[in-house]
Amino acid sequence: MRFFQPLSQHGLARVLAETRTRTHLSPGLIAIEKPIKSDGYSGFFDIVLPPSYSSTEKNFNLHWNILEAKKDKALTTSFSHSLQPFYPSSVVAELSEKDFQSYTEKFLELEDAHKHIYTLPISFINSAHFDSVLDTDVSLISLIGLDKIFNNQRKLAEVLIGLKEKVSPDIAIYLPGPTSPAHYSFLTYMGIDFFDNSLAYHVSKKGYFVLEDKSYFLSKHPDCYCQYCTQDPRNILGHNDLMMKNEIAKVRFALEEGILRELVEKDIHKSVTFAATLKHLDNNYSNVFRQRTPIISSSKLKCIGEESLTHPVIIEYRERIRTRFEPAPGKKIVLLLPCSAKKPYSFSRTHMRFRGAIKKAGKQIFPLLSEIIVTSPLSVVPRELENIYPARFYDIPVSGVWSEKEIEITSRLLLDVLAHYPKNTKIVNHMHGHGYQQIVDVVKEKTSFEVIDTAVEKSPTDQNSLNELGEVLSNLSKDLMYDREKYVPSKIRKLQATADFQYGKGTGQILFSRDIKIRSKYPKDLQIFREKKHIATLSSRTGYLSILPDIAQEIIDTTLNKLEFGAEYVSGSNIYAPGRIKADETILPNDEIFIIHENRVIATAKAIVSGVDMNKMTSGSLAVTKKKLKVKQ
Amino acid sequence: MKINPALSSMVREIRENSLKERQHSRKIVNWVEDHRLPTGAGKALVLILPTRGCSWALSKSGGCSICGYIYDNPLQPDYDIMLHSFKEILTQKIEKDLKYSLKLFTSGSFLDTREVPLEIQKEMMKEAAKYDQIEEIVLESRPEYVTESVLDNIAEHIEISKIEIAIGLESANNAILQNSINKGFFWEDFVKATNRIKDKGARVKAYLLFKPPFISEFDSINDILESVSKVADLGVNTVSINAMSIHRGTFLSQLFEKQLYRTPWLWSLLHLCQEIKQKFPDMRLICDVVAGGSERGAHNCGECDKEIISILKKFVLNQDSSALKEEVTCSCKTEWRSFLFSEKISNSEILDIYR
Repeated sequence: MRFFQPLSQHGLARVLAETRTRTHLSPGLIAIEKPIKSDGYSGFFDIVLPPSYSSTEKNFNLHWNILEAKKDKALTTSFSHSLQPFYPSSVVAELSEKDFQSYTEKFLELEDAHKHIYTLPISFINSAHFDSVLDTDVSLISLIGLDKIFNNQRKLAEVLIGLKEKVSPDIAIYLPGPTSPAHYSFLTYMGIDFFDNSLAYHVSKKGYFVLEDKSYFLSKHPDCYCQYCTQDPRNILGHNDLMMKNEIAKVRFALEEGILRELVEKDIHKSVTFAATLKHLDNNYSNVFRQRTPIISSSKLKCIGEESLTHPVIIEYRERIRTRFEPAPGKKIVLLLPCSAKKPYSFSRTHMRFRGAIKKAGKQIFPLLSEIIVTSPLSVVPRELENIYPARFYDIPVSGVWSEKEIEITSRLLLDVLAHYPKNTKIVNHMHGHGYQQIVDVVKEKTSFEVIDTAVEKSPTDQNSLNELGEVLSNLSKDLMYDREKYVPSKIRKLQATADFQYGKGTGQILFSRDIKIRSKYPKDLQIFREKKHIATLSSRTGYLSILPDIAQEIIDTTLNKLEFGAEYVSGSNIYAPGRIKADETILPNDEIFIIHENRVIATAKAIVSGVDMNKMTSGSLAVTKKKLKVKQ
Repeated sequence: MKINPALSSMVREIRENSLKERQHSRKIVNWVEDHRLPTGAGKALVLILPTRGCSWALSKSGGCSICGYIYDNPLQPDYDIMLHSFKEILTQKIEKDLKYSLKLFTSGSFLDTREVPLEIQKEMMKEAAKYDQIEEIVLESRPEYVTESVLDNIAEHIEISKIEIAIGLESANNAILQNSINKGFFWEDFVKATNRIKDKGARVKAYLLFKPPFISEFDSINDILESVSKVADLGVNTVSINAMSIHRGTFLSQLFEKQLYRTPWLWSLLHLCQEIKQKFPDMRLICDVVAGGSERGAHNCGECDKEIISILKKFVLNQDSSALKEEVTCSCKTEWRSFLFSEKISNSEILDIYR
């Protein structure tokens, strides 16, 4: 059994905990010597610096900071660091390769208790010898040589992604050696779990004064008024140490809150290399992150820099709109609207005015009308999905100026969505401004739809524009007939679209087609009844559904959120890795998933890690049970 | 096999290229310095004999990965000149009322007859025997040249108890000898040679090498401590700890130039002397720092280097451990501790801390 298990996942970054005690350990800082107080550290080495005749033990141990009360429950509280390769990987291959092989062989022969820490030089990431170590219960990989490629963004990304693709998420990665805390967030995002405080010790004339934005030379730095800097004489080591602990705490908090990517987007401005690396990651490895970043969340999504265009959640959102969104039947008019700062859009003053104008066209307009909000960086938000994360939670600095890239991405998705509508659908463009105009120009150029502009001269909220919108819609509705049979009320339509987005295309139709009643109102969670039976809840916090196990049975052939399980029923509140037979790789952390045994949904659960990682893990918890199927006695 | 073929072939390649630029010098380089004699402080007269050089360094093994002394030896030694100037130097340098340790170094093995033929060894011993001021004679040799016949030859011409054979053991750990230094002999060979020397009534001095390539400073401190214990158990009571300095034209020098090696910290040497002297108070402990304070020798931050080097000098001369207890404070001491850790855990990779 491995020592670690992930408690949450966000991209390649995880909160890791001791398997049994669930004491948070990563992302964490390790003290290189036993600290006076262990607060703020995930652990410490009991190494004696320098070694002496009295330090009889040649090896040293890494002690984990597990709460006293939980120590008895823990698998172990320390790892021994007993073996290392003889040659550093910086020497020529002739020396290091054979040596690495013999190191690995010796490591594999160690007793399990000594097989916790494995030293991996980055040049051997793709070695078959390393692969054989991954089959053991190794818990911590000490990654050597990363500093040599710190300024090579391409290599840095390749190495860390390669490593993360290989190792199971219950193996932690430790980056030993002096690392500036300014880089913690980004390195955590790339999958590093542990750092150490060795940089704090560099306090000579050539030393460093660590601050959150960077490490300054001791000879010149901004003043600090922390407890260590105000004492006489100044305790630089204490100061540096404090800064490092505080920075790692920020990273952990961001990870727990699901806002690590936002922190990273902010922090990469501290380093040219890392800014370039993030671009490189987004352009080349976006899948790796997308597959592991939760889409169910309720934290604010601040999209400030250009990096937000390639935020994994936003990429995933666009992808789901592209592959899972289907317009309701019978729609004959698509109304393109601009976004609003207030979310959900419907609650904004501008969208209320749009609604007022639409209403003027008469009630019969609604069954015909499909509203699509065009926005950056999400590109396209169908009205029925305006309440889900991230549509209701993102924020952008509005300048009215669209970049080439934004226009390109947005128009591409809009074209894909419009392709689902019949050829004779009319498009009413109630957007104004250069960027929006360019997007609509693309639609005009690439499709044969008839496009009617209603806000050409003035802004969409201008009374003249609103009047024109009302008139255009009213004229259109006169000529168009709606099919009463096919009409789905917008409230139910929202449920269907949400289910499709969340569970997979077609699931909404199956779940919410018969007699549906919705109880309670926003901001309370919506309780959904079908033929008087409670079947689902729609969370107002996230905008997503949860359904009962017997209801989930109906979509078993359609859904993309299945976890095949080896036992007939789920005992306890967790789904553990040894029971997993196969997980759908579309599962994201936080997703509602269905635990299936012999084609029967036996429980619903909330995923802790992605489906990709579920299939890799050999121990630890994969998901937390929500509802179990009631078995008739 | 006592060598690692992959390491040996690399060392040899560098050696062969560097040997082409070998300097031609037939002079006996010599100097007098303060020295710790078995009976107290005194002087050392050091002579570097221009022999053809260390046979191990010239062999197809490539010699030791860290040693570049061979480049100072002449291709063709002239023994007549050598013997003549040997006698001259002794007359000139040895003063009446002082005690001396005569150190005859060849940058190789004095006992190797290919370097110093038996006849020359004999002549030199005979000449040295004329001076009562010479309390001891230090001869350096690899263990394989410590044979009965060579020792007998020396014993015939000088009081054998005055002789100290210094052997560059470097480490008592065979893995280090083989995979780091390319030393070509093992601990067991040193034991045999030591016993042979002691049986004849001469003394043995062991050189230990602090921080050979690929061994982290942390591990090397441990290795020196262990090696000292093993050597002490064997009855060797003079140990010289040689902190690594970088010789040009060596395998180590190439590592150093690629920034894959940092010469040891002076803090480590101070610590080693403290530890060893405490555990073995009767041992004569030598720790001469070559190129101290420079990048190519043992050094600290640059601020405290001089102070520590002078403490070490004082200690070695007087063998008084109270010199080591002088409090030296420098802010680079914490950095050193951090370095010991980082280099150890990174498997001797030198970290670029500017990241």
